[in-house]
Amino acid sequence: MKRAAAVLAALVIVVLILAPLRLNGYAINLLYITLLSIGLAYGWNIISGYAGYFSFGQIAFFGVGAYATGLLVADLHWFWMPAAFAGGVLACALAIPLGYVMLRLRGPFFAMGMFGMAQMVRVLVTAIPATGSGSGLFLPPGSGITEVYYWTLAICAGAIALTIWIDRSAFGLRLQALREDEQVAGTLGVDTTRAKITAFALSALIPGLLGGGYALFLTYIEPDAVFSSRLDLQSIVMAILGGLGTVWGPLIGGLVMTQISEALWARFPQIYLMIFGGLLVALLIALPRGIVPAIADRFAARRNA
Amino acid sequence: MTEPLLAVDGVSIAFGGVQALSEVSLEVRDGEILALIGPNGAGKTTLFNVISGVLRPDAGDVRFAGRSIVGWAPHRIARAGVARTYQIVRPFGRLSVVDNVAVGALVHARTIERARNDARDVVGFVGLGAYADRPASSLTLTQRKRLEVARALALRPKLLLLDEVMAGLTPTEMDGMAEFVLHLSERGIAAVAGIEHVMRLVMRISHRIVVLDAGRRIAEGDPAAILTDPAVIEAYLGAPLGIGG
Repeated sequence: MKRAAAVLAALVIVVLILAPLRLNGYAINLLYITLLSIGLAYGWNIISGYAGYFSFGQIAFFGVGAYATGLLVADLHWFWMPAAFAGGVLACALAIPLGYVMLRLRGPFFAMGMFGMAQMVRVLVTAIPATGSGSGLFLPPGSGITEVYYWTLAICAGAIALTIWIDRSAFGLRLQALREDEQVAGTLGVDTTRAKITAFALSALIPGLLGGGYALFLTYIEPDAVFSSRLDLQSIVMAILGGLGTVWGPLIGGLVMTQISEALWARFPQIYLMIFGGLLVALLIALPRGIVPAIADRFAARRNA
Repeated sequence: MTEPLLAVDGVSIAFGGVQALSEVSLEVRDGEILALIGPNGAGKTTLFNVISGVLRPDAGDVRFAGRSIVGWAPHRIARAGVARTYQIVRPFGRLSVVDNVAVGALVHARTIERARNDARDVVGFVGLGAYADRPASSLTLTQRKRLEVARALALRPKLLLLDEVMAGLTPTEMDGMAEFVLHLSERGIAAVAGIEHVMRLVMRISHRIVVLDAGRRIAEGDPAAILTDPAVIEAYLGAPLGIGG
């Protein structure tokens, strides 16, 4: 069982690495967008799945990463890779003071607060004259879809590795404890403020790094494109569908969602969103905790039987 | 005279217009079991919240092992050696019993493997060994009470604050819990046991008793003296007038 999983994982990695050599433009774009959403879902899963703080504003860090990369490449003529890396680091650094303030809010107040925070960040970024304000920012040519694809693939692999580590570490146990009951976690010796802010910063690093790749992919960025509520919501739904606070939830949820979405779009172009929405509701009613916990329960039941 | 392990000195706290605690003082010495008794609403849980750092008092001081701990974050107080249980049991439902306990064990263990090992020992010690790997949400009320105690013990505290550990237990289970608390005391762990009634057990386990009523300390002394104290009899028999002050 374990060995089969390892072989399968190795096979998937090889296929994903070789994919750009074989695929046409449409397929590689689709694969890129899928990977991007899965990566965003992994980022969101840390603060919202493991620590239990539902954020509707992580896209702010994606936008910051995208704009930082854009400015570094267009105005300071950096090579794309260090620029995208710097975008991620900046998003992560920004998350520390923001988290210190925002993580005092709980439950729906945090969720709504983060939504407002994302709007604020968006307005602030576009208020800087160098970003071209609302009219956007052109990036000079220098990297194509292949580079962006590999960058995003690497970040996704890193996000999965990070999640595996969190799931097994003392840090992850502290996060889960505070998700279940923050006051009790505190009186059991967990420095909840520190754990939350660390989780929040990691949940900003991943979209920050992915944002730089997206800026390069678009070559022209504007506020609506990179502070995209659609991308934000899509990644949240993926993580929830797959299973909140699980290692493989964002990946499984992401794959299931993109497969269904593509298949429906090809067959029912006019009404595919309606069918998709209905299917999503049905899935979430049938599997309220998501796909991965449902499968895990099935296996556990078989072992105990 | 040596410094007591815990010294609560003139602690007051109000919520809105309700004075939950008025200048409450008490002391606990090493290894001592202090019963904190009083009718429902007397302020026992509020006092535990103040000592464990969940609430900050409006006035007064709390000293633990000679240092003032007012204003410390709860995790810092826990790491200093004050552990507490909750009256309404609050397990981390989605985590296993071992992981519930390992959270506290992490304070001393360097790695998560060691924390889980230590936690397994504590889980066995409180008699939950057979349930170690089950989710905490699957435990019965009695088992959850034990889990509360196990989590607190994993911190290796010098002082244990037990908030209504007898509530909801059968008489046999209460006796077991009483033995357990006495056993901890023999090992040098002091305890403050908040208990609403069950006088039989209070008499058996406590070295000293403090009586709270409507947020005030109305009596303090050894068990025999407390039973005959007119103020205590008044508070219990006149409970309907005393509640909520």
